[in-house]
Amino acid sequence: MVTLTIDGVEVTVERGASILEAAQKAGVRIPTLCHDKRLVPYGACRLCIVEVTSRGRTRTMPACFNPAREGMEVATHTPKLAESRRMQLMLLLRSHPLLCPSCDAGGNCRLQDLVHEYEVPELPFTRESRYYHVENESHFIRFNMNLCVRCGMCVRICDEVQGENELSFIKRGMECEVSTDFGRPLQCELCGQCAQICPVGAIASKWLVGTARAFEVNRVNTVCSFCSLGCVLTVAERKKKIVAVSSPADSHNEGNLCVKGRYGWPYAYSEQRLKKPLIRKDGSLQEVEWNEALSFVAEQLMAIKGSSGPGSLAALGSERLTNEEAYVFNRFARTVMETPHLDHAGGYGYRALVDGLGSALGFPASTNSITEIREADVILLLAADLTETHPVAKNEAIMATSRHKGELIVIDAVKTKLTGRRGTHLMCKPGTEHFVAFAMIKEIIDKELFDRKALDLRADGLDELVASLAPYDPDAVGALTGVDADTIRQAAEKFARASRAAILLTDGMNRPAQNVLLARAAANLAVITGQVGKESGGVFVFGEKANAQGAIDMGLAPDLLPGFRRLADEEGRARFEKAWGGPLPQEPGMNAAGILEAAEKGAVRGIYVVGENPLETYPNRGQVERALGSLQFLVAQDLFLTSTARLAHAVLPVASFMEKNGTVTSAERMIQRLKPVWKSVEHKSDLEIFTALAAMMGKPAMTYPGPERVMDEIASLVDVYKGVSYDRIGDRGIQWPCVDTDDPGKRRLYEGGFPAGKARLQPAPTFQASPNQGGPFYLTPSSLKFHSGSISQFSFSLLEVVAGAVAEMNRSDMKAVGLVDGDRVRITDSFGASIAVRAKGSRRAPAGVVIVPQHFSEAKLNTLTRWDDPAPRVRVEKV
Amino acid sequence: MEERDALLKKKVEPVVEAIPAEKLEQLDDILCRYEGKPGYLIPALKDAQELVGYLPQQVQGRVADMLGVTSSHVYGVVTFYSFFTITPRGRHTIRLCLGTACYVKGAKDILENITREVGITVGETSSDGRFTLEAVRCLGACGLAPVLLVGADTHGNIVPKDTVSILEGYQ
Ligand code: SF4
Ligand code: SF4
Ligand code: SF4
Ligand code: FES
Ligand code: FES
Repeated sequence: MVTLTIDGVEVTVERGASILEAAQKAGVRIPTLCHDKRLVPYGACRLCIVEVTSRGRTRTMPACFNPAREGMEVATHTPKLAESRRMQLMLLLRSHPLLCPSCDAGGNCRLQDLVHEYEVPELPFTRESRYYHVENESHFIRFNMNLCVRCGMCVRICDEVQGENELSFIKRGMECEVSTDFGRPLQCELCGQCAQICPVGAIASKWLVGTARAFEVNRVNTVCSFCSLGCVLTVAERKKKIVAVSSPADSHNEGNLCVKGRYGWPYAYSEQRLKKPLIRKDGSLQEVEWNEALSFVAEQLMAIKGSSGPGSLAALGSERLTNEEAYVFNRFARTVMETPHLDHAGGYGYRALVDGLGSALGFPASTNSITEIREADVILLLAADLTETHPVAKNEAIMATSRHKGELIVIDAVKTKLTGRRGTHLMCKPGTEHFVAFAMIKEIIDKELFDRKALDLRADGLDELVASLAPYDPDAVGALTGVDADTIRQAAEKFARASRAAILLTDGMNRPAQNVLLARAAANLAVITGQVGKESGGVFVFGEKANAQGAIDMGLAPDLLPGFRRLADEEGRARFEKAWGGPLPQEPGMNAAGILEAAEKGAVRGIYVVGENPLETYPNRGQVERALGSLQFLVAQDLFLTSTARLAHAVLPVASFMEKNGTVTSAERMIQRLKPVWKSVEHKSDLEIFTALAAMMGKPAMTYPGPERVMDEIASLVDVYKGVSYDRIGDRGIQWPCVDTDDPGKRRLYEGGFPAGKARLQPAPTFQASPNQGGPFYLTPSSLKFHSGSISQFSFSLLEVVAGAVAEMNRSDMKAVGLVDGDRVRITDSFGASIAVRAKGSRRAPAGVVIVPQHFSEAKLNTLTRWDDPAPRVRVEKV
Repeated sequence: MEERDALLKKKVEPVVEAIPAEKLEQLDDILCRYEGKPGYLIPALKDAQELVGYLPQQVQGRVADMLGVTSSHVYGVVTFYSFFTITPRGRHTIRLCLGTACYVKGAKDILENITREVGITVGETSSDGRFTLEAVRCLGACGLAPVLLVGADTHGNIVPKDTVSILEGYQ
């Protein structure tokens, strides 16, 4: 630690901190034009110069990249400095067009602010004009290099944080500008980070052009509703259109957003949004008033309950419900519908957390906080293509491998952007990733690359694990997975010897039958090598959608109650029976797969689907279609007339994330508040619908005046949310466990040990190849960074970038099948089911693998996916 | 002056000219030495330019792929060094100063003479591959205005009608 004074304020900072950081800590503002805390200091603008007196000598130096030293006296705003800054600004203005009145950045421009602050009185120098044309061909982002002040922040963030390196400074001197090669339109992630970081209007969002000026918009801080990282958004709205989305620099995501968080919102005001409830009359869905629709739903549910018993009803929720809605839906299903059959995310999308981390460690949640990842020495990516699924978490891997010189171990069947970074890629056959991870565990145990005494103190189950690993003979593993024994050995050793090693995987609906096994392997690895409860270690399981964690916390599962209480747990059940005023089932109900199977057989007669589109997202489309088609009554609650809604008897249009209040819990257990950007009069929130239906179905006690009251009830019943309230969540969020009103929440789990005393190592699965045959190719369902679930299909912005499903194949396979880019292919599985899509050659796909994105209705990818098979075998033919 | 500004800001359109397949093969042979070595960008570009004569998009793309850097990065380096060129070049490069001093003292007439005699204007290369013409802002030799450079030779105080005889010396 070093102590120095800044403008007379004494401040102590860590060794290595810059003078600028020290000043920020001391509450002194130093002007900057090329500095951002996410970037390596650069020193281009020299506006941050300060006067430093140390050992009797006074010098001027830039504050942003000179370290603070013991005893320094720093002056930041002397007349001499002001004069010098004024001069620099005048020089900058020499070639900067003075078109502020027509510039979209007017009012939101650091140059403008500084010129104002330093009262630049005149422009004494001959002006030099620049002549760049305005590049307007890229999606979302417009370049006007005439405005550029060459701070380099766009080039640097694209390289240092995004890992894209899409932008470069080109040419020299006066002609220097920021561009891609030959000025081509952007072909990058389109994250818009360059536009947000640009201090002037040189790179800007096209949505702003001519629509609104900085002081004309209404700004609301809320949370991104696409993936589970929970990035904080500042939404700028004007006339019910979103004109710009940014993120506060002091957010947990440090102001970073991905393309969806920044440009994915037009679905909220899509023309296709349902405006009125629909009910099926004379065979077709017809618009009705809310009252009629709700009483129809209530009557029908009551009728089925009366005639076939409550067990003939089932409820399917979603990772897109807020915590409050998920909680109330749980109560509604179990005490109003009175059914034990409740599930979400296909019944498997979230089990990695529950049956993987939950069973092994205690809590069904990621162990550490996301920003710790960048400091890990080794990051194991277990079938996690973060660039496509969780782009902002991918940035952590980028920073870890560049700035922090860490290494990746990637176990994946396809090439990803991250497989090209520092480290090793264990390219295995699709669906065998978990075998590779268990083989690493075997190696670590066999070679004693861990501290056995310490392990015995913190975990049980080693003997069972060792016994289950017996069949994992290195050669057999090599043959089955395609990864040779030496490579696995080296990876195991590297992981075991790392002082800080984190494991990242993703959990979601495109990976049936494998989530849990991957998570168990991850938990074992982390426990055995002592990486749990430690900074920059641990296991992260990133859920697919915004409230993936909250849906588990609120117990949207056949075997869970809110707060991870098992139904079988007497005390837990009693607690909720008392609060909810009704008996609860003692036995778990059916999961999503079971519900559909029962529906097909007629044992389930009515299903209430909220926020999910099973017909398109659950595996085995044929079965889902038959199951839903044979129901006596299907209610779909959604924003759009999805393909599931088209089969329904009643469709209830709901408020979107842009229109409602509530909280969501991110993949790092961060509970944050959603705030409505505008009010919708046509739509009801899911919460309003549940309480209205409860009253109509004879349970008027289930009333909540608003989501805040629901959270109070959750806090009174769920241990890890005990200290949570809307006030405490505030603008910054709070990470559970938060056990009382003084608890600030926890960045890391298990620092003080495991809740059950010890962790429980999970046995390895039977070692065998998937029995499914059916063709020379593996089908790998994938995610695209430009889409999310199936909702992004309603955002014209995202569709403009990727409009539909294209199968990616290795060029050699394309040749063998006789295909050229753009040809249509038929992909057929062993059951004879098939889909037709266009194909293109891709470097991501190794030979023998076809990658098809999951988001698009018209591709019907789930025709080919199966509940029990992560990588179906298929044939590919030209059509 | 507007006319001058237009000449100075004129964008050189990249030539889209298919590189013969055997050239590309030779190129790959040369480049494979640098495979996966981003630190060798400059030597790789130098070798590529020696082989092909200039660095069109296609060539830059190959260099980027081979070394494992992005094509934007390659382009940034290519445009930074005047040694590299993205268009085919004549044997001699004429750099005509269109700075204020030179312009006032007749640079425009010199340009007209070049255009008439050699058949090219700013940014172009003559069809016989003899000359490439570039306009520059100020060569810092205003005392000698009007000034033009051919290759490394400086010609100052030019009387516009002598332009042709100056160029005669470069075949
Ligand atoms: S949008 Fe993102 S990836 Fe693309 S150039 Fe800008 S910062 Fe780079
Ligand atoms: S475009 Fe903007 S961010 Fe990039 S160098 Fe210019 S002023 Fe800086
Ligand atoms: S990374 Fe996830 S939470 Fe963050 S902006 Fe993108 S989709 Fe939204
Ligand atoms: S902020 Fe320090 S030099 Fe620009
Ligand atoms: S204007 Fe031509 S040399 Fe200066």
